Amino acid sequence: MLIHWLDILPLLILSAGGLAIFGAGAFLPRRPSWVLFGLASLTALGAGLAALLMAPGSAAFLGMVDLGSYSRFFTILLMSITLLSLFFLHRYAQVRNFAGDELFALMIYAALGMVLVAAAVHWLIFFLGLELLSLSLYVLIASRRRETTALEAGVKYFILGAVASAFLTFGIALLYAATGTLEIKASLAGVSQAVPMPLYFLALSLIFVGIGFKISLVPFHLWTPDVYEGAPAPVTAFLSTGSKVALFAALLRLALNLGEPAWEMAWPVLWVLAVLTMALGNITAVYQTKVKRLLAYSSVAQMGYLLMALVAVKQGSLPALLFYLTVYALMDLGAFGILGSLSEPQADLDELEDFQGLGFSHPWRSAVFACCLLSLAGLPPTAGFLGKIFLFWALIKADCLILAVIGITTVVFSIYYYFKVLTSLYLRPRRREFLITPPDLAVGLASGAIFLLVFLLGIHPGPLWSVIEQISIFLSR
Amino acid sequence: MIAPYSHILILASLLFLMGAACAAARRSLIMILIGVEIMLNAAALAFIAASLRWRHLDGQAFVIFIFAVAAAEVAVGLALIVYAQRRTGSVKADDYQQLQG
Repeated sequence: MLIHWLDILPLLILSAGGLAIFGAGAFLPRRPSWVLFGLASLTALGAGLAALLMAPGSAAFLGMVDLGSYSRFFTILLMSITLLSLFFLHRYAQVRNFAGDELFALMIYAALGMVLVAAAVHWLIFFLGLELLSLSLYVLIASRRRETTALEAGVKYFILGAVASAFLTFGIALLYAATGTLEIKASLAGVSQAVPMPLYFLALSLIFVGIGFKISLVPFHLWTPDVYEGAPAPVTAFLSTGSKVALFAALLRLALNLGEPAWEMAWPVLWVLAVLTMALGNITAVYQTKVKRLLAYSSVAQMGYLLMALVAVKQGSLPALLFYLTVYALMDLGAFGILGSLSEPQADLDELEDFQGLGFSHPWRSAVFACCLLSLAGLPPTAGFLGKIFLFWALIKADCLILAVIGITTVVFSIYYYFKVLTSLYLRPRRREFLITPPDLAVGLASGAIFLLVFLLGIHPGPLWSVIEQISIFLSR
Repeated sequence: MIAPYSHILILASLLFLMGAACAAARRSLIMILIGVEIMLNAAALAFIAASLRWRHLDGQAFVIFIFAVAAAEVAVGLALIVYAQRRTGSVKADDYQQLQG
């Protein structure tokens, strides 16, 4: 059998890049961090360009990895996320003295895991990608190992993540026992007489628990604020965007492939969970006094909005979902990345009072932070506003009126706590002197790009929208 | 196969529940890790049974990957726990509560 290795060029580039960084760390004396950072950025850039420019020869690689437009779209998105996170991470790690080879190499391996999860059409690849992603993230979260908070966050994420992946693995095992195939599409679509229904539903719910933990849906979200607070802020940016985008891409693929009787059972569950996630995420965020925890609950709520649109995915909400997923990645990455850049070397700025007066002493970065917050809140003319409009419009067209009304209520409610942060930034007097490190070129580039894109996608979404529509047409065929 | 297929699935489910109970009830991080390993082994058992039933090798190949992943998970997990124990002097899950809102 002829194997077209070039079809999986992005994956090959990522694997080779990770090895090259470990090699550079082992053989270069004194491990200059700019070399490691440069290698990591080139790897992410190369993989993204390969996915953008190379047209693959076949639809899937050995029946394991999807090579279609859907997975290429997510590869490019995930590589952009990785590149921007690296830009934020380098300066942060350099100042705090943990910019070793393992940091950059594990970022690249986590990115490889994300691409595998988003592109998997076989349960084995999905499992391996998820484990690669999770194992790298456990270490990345605890990478500032002299900080007890980072270590605690790493331990917590590890314990809960290991339990969640055990649930997922057992779910896959039961699904295989029920259907006799490991291909995702065949195992989800085919419900014949031979398939024992209770086993099938048990398997699906176990798999959903595993995925729901990773994207922090409400009953499984308890780790989110602790881990987001303890991890280094740029790693949090990477974790809260990259791993969620990848897992949501996989969840979307599962939902689209799910056969008729199972979907009839699944969508009421999704409906309830979406309402719970939106409501609890937004309500708990109001009571937070620490900005990282507030943003953590806000990202839980954002996942709720996405889950809400997933309920209507069979009635054509797919383009809106993909658009909002892209926008979510941008604005959350911006918020956490700037939070890291605006932090002092000893500890990240965290309490709301610490932010007082920051808007005038560090105007540029605060402006980007503020625009990401406005976008998360969903105010015009940002991308978040347009994304939410698309989501709710898709829901209303699909006759999910009650869900849309609940969603809009929580969005309006959420504006309050975003404004709490904005008031501290701009309307309160400065309380103390800041010892914030000046940004380097990479941070400037990344925040400039995010700033521009958040407004560009809010005003002129046409090009991205047309790409997404083509992908959705291709998928639903 | 001598034992009926459903019996093996039931055994695997029991093993999974025991592992989950261990992970949920024990407060020591090491015991939680052992519970997770038992849950993964229950999945491996279910895979082998299903693979014999459907007469494919896919399930058994998956088991080898599960073993590899479980080993990697233990390596990362024990490294984390040992380092945390050195910093804080405890492997009890309840002692890790610096991060609270």
